[in-house]
Amino acid sequence: MKYRSLFLKIFFCFWLAAAAMIGALNLMLWFSFAQDPNPERRRGALGEALNLYAESAVQVYDSEGPQDFEQYVNRSLKEAGTEIELFDGDGKSLTTPTAAEAASVAAEIKGTQQHISHVTALGRITWGRPVVAPSGRVYIFVTRLRQPYVFRGLPPLGIALSILAAGVISYLLALYLTSPVKKLKSVVQSFAEGNLEARVAPELGSRHDELADLGREFDHMAERIAALISSQKRLLADISHELRSPLARLTVALELARKSTTGKGEAALDRIEMESERVNALVGQLLALTRLESGAERVPPQMIGLEELLEEIIDDANYEAKPLHKEVKVLQLAPCRVRGSSELLRSGIENVIRNAIRYTAEGTAIEVSLTTRLDKAILTVRDHGPGVPESELQHIFEPFYRVGEARERSSGGVGLGLSIADRTVKLHGGCIRAENVNGGLLITIGLPLSVAPTVVQHAPERMPVA
Amino acid sequence: MVSVLLIDDDTELSKLLEEYLQSEQFELHAAHDGPGGLEKALANHYSAVILDVMLPGMSGLDVLKQLRQKSSVPVLMLTARGSELDRILGLELGADDYLAKPFNPRELVARLRAILRRASTGGTSTASQPVHLAGVDLHPDSRSVTCNGKPVALTGAEFDLLYSFLRSPGKIISREDLTQAALGRPMSPMDRSIDVHVSNLRRKLGPYDGEQERIKAIRGSGYVYLLPGEQQ
Repeated sequence: MKYRSLFLKIFFCFWLAAAAMIGALNLMLWFSFAQDPNPERRRGALGEALNLYAESAVQVYDSEGPQDFEQYVNRSLKEAGTEIELFDGDGKSLTTPTAAEAASVAAEIKGTQQHISHVTALGRITWGRPVVAPSGRVYIFVTRLRQPYVFRGLPPLGIALSILAAGVISYLLALYLTSPVKKLKSVVQSFAEGNLEARVAPELGSRHDELADLGREFDHMAERIAALISSQKRLLADISHELRSPLARLTVALELARKSTTGKGEAALDRIEMESERVNALVGQLLALTRLESGAERVPPQMIGLEELLEEIIDDANYEAKPLHKEVKVLQLAPCRVRGSSELLRSGIENVIRNAIRYTAEGTAIEVSLTTRLDKAILTVRDHGPGVPESELQHIFEPFYRVGEARERSSGGVGLGLSIADRTVKLHGGCIRAENVNGGLLITIGLPLSVAPTVVQHAPERMPVA
Repeated sequence: MVSVLLIDDDTELSKLLEEYLQSEQFELHAAHDGPGGLEKALANHYSAVILDVMLPGMSGLDVLKQLRQKSSVPVLMLTARGSELDRILGLELGADDYLAKPFNPRELVARLRAILRRASTGGTSTASQPVHLAGVDLHPDSRSVTCNGKPVALTGAEFDLLYSFLRSPGKIISREDLTQAALGRPMSPMDRSIDVHVSNLRRKLGPYDGEQERIKAIRGSGYVYLLPGEQQ
């Protein structure tokens, strides 16, 4: 929307400026003419000049003959567009005929004393008058010339059209200026969403202005960030893999040690086993998280019945919760179809429910419900545990974030479960949120439904009874 | 002594396992890369193969694919924990069971014994009468299956799964019982292997003519093998 408003700003500013200039110019012209007391004066001056010229030209013809007249006219007047024709008193052409209008003007003048001036639509004037030569012969002088152009401002329609044209130009200009900003924005957005391959350069084409420079600078920055992130992720994955091999050897060596140990040593070995299990779980979760964050996991376009998946997860979770005197209860289970990977979603949701089992008080139940709201499947998991301090709620999806030392230690968690859930849900285009409710933590997961749930209402009524 | 082949690039782990398995009456042979392991597995008669998915030279999944073209030796796969995809692909390609690495060697021995027990007894202790049911013929002696007259290539686990289904068609069998029957071990929490095996079996047999599925999942209970026209 920012781009839109920048576009509109530039567009309207330019248009307004252009329209104001057109208006001011027209106003100025209008005023200068309004102050001219006698606009016809100019035409009067032209008439004066033509009168003089007609008399002298007729005199030349009358006294020197047609050839000299031709010469005189050629020499002095025959500039582009000005034609002169001479008729005798009866309206008979004496010179090379020019236009039909000249003849018709001559015919009009014939036998009268009037001066005639016709103006055609194209701005040509045909002007004629009878001239009495010093010899007493009567001639009719006709000339066709361009009306001297006087700009008196545009008519209202012209003003409207020019403002419209200014609008089109402003629009194109604003588009030209803001389109790279728009492209830049979409690339930056895609980069921010995790597409580390996003670059501006191919979008800019052959531009070489400041905006193109900005784009290139962004590309440099993106290059560096992408390199940093990928090396960090690779490092994390390598470390995880490299930790696995010694762990695998450790567990085998441990069992070998067990075979030759009796009595006191057993307890120490049990402890070693438990701790190596912890490291093992941590490495596993780290790897899962790294995979989710590195984009190595692609969401397949698989249809999943979320309610079936959830039932399976809850079955398994109860298996774990029962020995701890805890329980997972289902409050609501609406059929929901979502698109994605059932394995990833399973581990994501499992992590949320396991987290709830870990923190809920002994003897209480975790309440799970799955409903649909608009185009989303809403999964809520509520525990009856200590909750999380309000100020720390937004951080609990960060890897290794610890909500108070004591809580973490007694729970035995490694602090990655909710991060995995968060990344999984986001990978599926959903959102995850945590809030404190009366005596417990409520985690809400929203996932986009792939098909709107078909609401079957009173199905038996519609079906004819066979 | 039972001879088992381990294909894993970690030589130190191989040595430790060799020592450990020796005490459990297994004779462990080791190969440290894909092509070498495949060659060894095809050249010798091992009772079982333990195959790591991550191998230099050739991925464990490729080894499994090629091995399955020529041999039906029981395969136990070692997968990286957290990599669900490897596990599913492995089971789909015909591995008999899997174990996430790092694993407890006691668990490894238990799984190995389960696989071997099943392989040696054919998963059944009763008289091996062929079963004919709704187009499917199962011969326990030769461990072969035909569906509508066409032979169907099943892995050991899938065969035992189908045998369990055919012995009680139309009845719900719990996932625990199916795991015990097909994999020879009790089901562990968060264990989805049986679902992968069932979906493989379902895919290999195909639906009945009327697009009706042969094997239906019953939520929270298990699976049921349906007869044609039966709507559970």
